[in-house]
Amino acid sequence: MTSTTSRIAKPGALAASVALALLALQAPAAAFMQEGPDRWGPNPNASANGGRVDTLFWVITALVSVSFLIVLLMLLVTVLRDRARPGVKARYDHGSSLHDKRFTAGVSVAVFLLLDASVLWITMHDLRETVWNIPTGTQNVLRVEVLAQQWAWNFRLPGADNEFGTPDDIVTINHLHVPQGRPVVVHGSSKDVIHSFFVPDMRIKRDVNPGAINKVWFQAEKPGDYEILCAELCGFAHYQMHGTLTVVPPDRWDAWQAEASHIAQATYDENDTEARWAWDWKE
Amino acid sequence: MPRTRPPRTLALGLTLLLAAAAAAQEHGAEPQTAEPATEHPAPTASPHLRAPRHVPLDITEPVKVVSPGEAFVEALAAANPGRFSQVDEHWVDARGEYVWDEDEELYWQWLSAEQLTRGRRDFVQFCSSCHGLDGDGYGRSAQHLRPPPRSFHQSTFKFTKVPSAFLPNDDALIRLVRHGLDGTPMLPWDVSEERLRDVVQYLKTLSPEDSGWRDPTNEIGEVVATTPDPWVGKEQEAIEKGKASYHKNQCYSCHPGYATPAEINTFRGVPAETTYGADLTYSKLKRDSSFAVQGYQVSIPAPDFTWNTIRYGRDTMEVFQTIAAGIGGAGMPTWGVVGDQKGAVPDEEIWALAHYVRWLIDTYKDRPEREAFMAGLRAP
Repeated sequence: MTSTTSRIAKPGALAASVALALLALQAPAAAFMQEGPDRWGPNPNASANGGRVDTLFWVITALVSVSFLIVLLMLLVTVLRDRARPGVKARYDHGSSLHDKRFTAGVSVAVFLLLDASVLWITMHDLRETVWNIPTGTQNVLRVEVLAQQWAWNFRLPGADNEFGTPDDIVTINHLHVPQGRPVVVHGSSKDVIHSFFVPDMRIKRDVNPGAINKVWFQAEKPGDYEILCAELCGFAHYQMHGTLTVVPPDRWDAWQAEASHIAQATYDENDTEARWAWDWKE
Repeated sequence: MPRTRPPRTLALGLTLLLAAAAAAQEHGAEPQTAEPATEHPAPTASPHLRAPRHVPLDITEPVKVVSPGEAFVEALAAANPGRFSQVDEHWVDARGEYVWDEDEELYWQWLSAEQLTRGRRDFVQFCSSCHGLDGDGYGRSAQHLRPPPRSFHQSTFKFTKVPSAFLPNDDALIRLVRHGLDGTPMLPWDVSEERLRDVVQYLKTLSPEDSGWRDPTNEIGEVVATTPDPWVGKEQEAIEKGKASYHKNQCYSCHPGYATPAEINTFRGVPAETTYGADLTYSKLKRDSSFAVQGYQVSIPAPDFTWNTIRYGRDTMEVFQTIAAGIGGAGMPTWGVVGDQKGAVPDEEIWALAHYVRWLIDTYKDRPEREAFMAGLRAP
């Protein structure tokens, strides 16, 4: 008994274990921070408000890590201080004395105030400021209608007349073009089952349900191509249901939209009533 | 005893709930006569929304379809001497799969009910959400979809690489399904060849009586022959020649033209004052004959290579095959060599066209350079 405990308590062995653990964590930590395809962490944020999601992520990670370390430390102290030693007999304790109850209540309140309440406060603040604060109007805002299906995304942008359901609507499959630096409001629905419109780089994700129109908005800040994914298991080809979000620099946007709108009008088939699926935009 | 109260309440609640559910079910069984007053009335007229309560999965009867031909059966017989025996001039299959028809003078292929059931089950699982439970192209997810999914009640296919005068062979169809069609929801299906072979057999039986694979006058064709690329190492020359050929063959009558009217007149050798419509540099809307079955009457424009994603043309070879074989049921004719007969355009020129089309895609599609390029062509 005595020999076992003394072996565990050797400070050298303890230091070596901690050093080994830190060494083992170094590679994943480096991989998490780096850029490029081998990166472990999430894609860098490319939208105006995505930083809030990242902040929330890091706040939660930091708070949980600190709490975890405190708990570990207390466990370690208890294990070392109250380890088996001659002349001391173990006893069971339900922690039901008034002192213990007060301590438990105090820790609970502290944890709630420190962790849950702060996360809740940041979340509610962000929801009010961004997620629920959907930009309105038609001038500066790009409006997009998304119709999901097994297993594709149908996108519809208003053409030059800025109205949906007209011959110059820009209709694409699996490829959405948006301008850089302008709010994009997405109204989504589904033909068949529940899908989820997910653009990780813009830090947005919104379920799209059949029979309902769900809303989400973002503002892209970096030009380039980004992945659009389905984040709701929607059938066996769910994993193949992805599209491309192309963010066009503002100086090229008007020309792109005019050209796309012109091509849409030139190739519009007025007899093909079935191809028209736009709905009235309701803010 | 206060402790027993919650379970009793729970049991009572559950009983009430069950009774309510049963009552609702009984009520639901009665035919509803009143129209539900909703803001968006259910579009019952749409054939996409037919929802059969029972989806039949099993096929009980074997079906005969056109076999790949006499040469195929002879080769099969030579490879399986135990299975085939010769009676008069024709082979008799002990398994009964290939049967000579004296009246029609061809071998029918009998597809077993077991194989068709396997194919039917995979079809329902993989294909029916778009192509419909009956294969008529009216699946639930096909609503509003352009291009609409293929109806298998007709036997034309667009990108099998088999000239459109023929039915595609099994391998061509399987390759098509595994390749997918870019820019459409037809995914590259990662389904094994064995399973797809059964699905393809099932597709053949969807042809109505006396059409497609059930019409003895139809023949199964081969994928258009792919000659070696004669332009390896001189791609720039191929692009120049392809550009001339593209406009000389008047591809711009459906696709956009990618040259100025003056250049086109030179390529064609017509008087310099020949003029063209204002839509010269745009795709033209053409009625698509392939969808005249089952009510889809859509017009699909020929792609603008600098704007649209082309369905089958990831490399020069695929573009060559598409031009050479043509696109069944669409406006794109078979330009290449069919059988022993030379088509309208020799292979070398089709390869040059393929290089030109790939160059257009690689240089201008989704690139900022496109704007200046098209503006230059459209300048008055």
